Amino acid sequence: MIELIVFLILLTLGYFFGQSAEKRHYRSIIEREARYNALPAIASRYPPDDVNYRQALVTGNTVISVDYFKRFIAALRNLFGGRVTSYETLLDRARRESLLRMKAHADALGASMVFNVKYETASISKGAGNAIGSVEVLAYGTALIEPRD
Amino acid sequence: MKYSNPQIPEGINVSDRHPLKELLILLGGALVLVVVLSWILAEFGGRLARLVPFEHELSMAPDSLLSSDAPPALQRYLDDLAQRLQTQMDLPKGMTIKLHLSGSDTFNAFATLGGNILLFRGLVEKLPNENALAMLLAHEIAHVQHRDPIAGVGQTAAVQTMLSLLFGSADLSILGSAGLHTQLSFNRDMERAADATALAAVYRVYGHLAGANDLFAAIQAERRRTGDGELPAIFSSHPLDQERLDAIIATAKANGWSTEGSVTPLPSQFLAWLRQSQQASILHDDAPAKAIPESPPVR
Repeated sequence: MIELIVFLILLTLGYFFGQSAEKRHYRSIIEREARYNALPAIASRYPPDDVNYRQALVTGNTVISVDYFKRFIAALRNLFGGRVTSYETLLDRARRESLLRMKAHADALGASMVFNVKYETASISKGAGNAIGSVEVLAYGTALIEPRD
Repeated sequence: MKYSNPQIPEGINVSDRHPLKELLILLGGALVLVVVLSWILAEFGGRLARLVPFEHELSMAPDSLLSSDAPPALQRYLDDLAQRLQTQMDLPKGMTIKLHLSGSDTFNAFATLGGNILLFRGLVEKLPNENALAMLLAHEIAHVQHRDPIAGVGQTAAVQTMLSLLFGSADLSILGSAGLHTQLSFNRDMERAADATALAAVYRVYGHLAGANDLFAAIQAERRRTGDGELPAIFSSHPLDQERLDAIIATAKANGWSTEGSVTPLPSQFLAWLRQSQQASILHDDAPAKAIPESPPVR
């Protein structure tokens, strides 16, 4: 009985805090994406050769934890298969947040665009039994900075 | 060349289905799956476990039961009564019954692996006559005869294996309690069968059934005393007392067994013996009751 109560409390906490954190995060992501839209981040490995740009490595790294509620839904999904929608938002947020942080880094350097953008994804506490898992996404690229005259 | 990043519309990479709706659908499916699988596997596990030879069951018996608090005279009396019942019950060859009396206050009695039967003073001292005690002993012996303890172990093992295979190490163990309800009804069937066998044995020993229902009367009285809300957990898997009393009358009628007759009194020193057992249990204070949760409490 105690087990059930603890479980329900964790589930409720996970649901409410997880949902509110996610909503807040998405609001912030959308707002900053609009702000940095003028700074292109491109996957191409060939930068424009019209200007002799200065170059710099820029990175953005995010770690997001999954809440108890999402974890429970994902565990149930293991049973029946299908889209693990509860983890989709998690990865989507981590990817976009990392890209935004990378762009913020580039912006601070005065870059006009970022080339050769790549992502690395890692799962933290993978295989650590019952530990609540987290996901790490690293976005990195080459910032092109216009030379000062 | 002009570079730009388009604004990607929301909702492409992320499903807009409400998480609570998803939870309800998945949870409902999982519960149905667990209940159905538990029921099937408990049935199979129980049947398979009954095939385990009794000699193997002996090695699985809990060691904690090896001592008994009963003074030698009481132990002799109980063993003798059990022996008289056994001769009327055609136990399979090699099946032996070992009686243990705990001096503790617990209101309980149960049969467990290896033909071990544990009686608690708390229950035994509430019995008014030998016929009620015989009914209790015969009921527990019937559990051993029907291989109910090992079947219970088999059921639990099958259901737990299934749950751990299904859910692995994920925190879904909570769903495991869904399997309990199916087990409950199995145990009720076992109880009914044990009652029927016990009744026949008591009839053959005494020639009538008078006093047999005093056992259930004592259980009923205890239930009233503790209040309906706080039943001893062991009774939850048992058929209702009234149902069992009715079953006695019905079985007696169906077989033409008399429920009238003179009840056999307990030996005059019976209560004194029980007090000695209580002191013995206090003295060595390793009350077997503490070891019980690990053994399957099939009463």
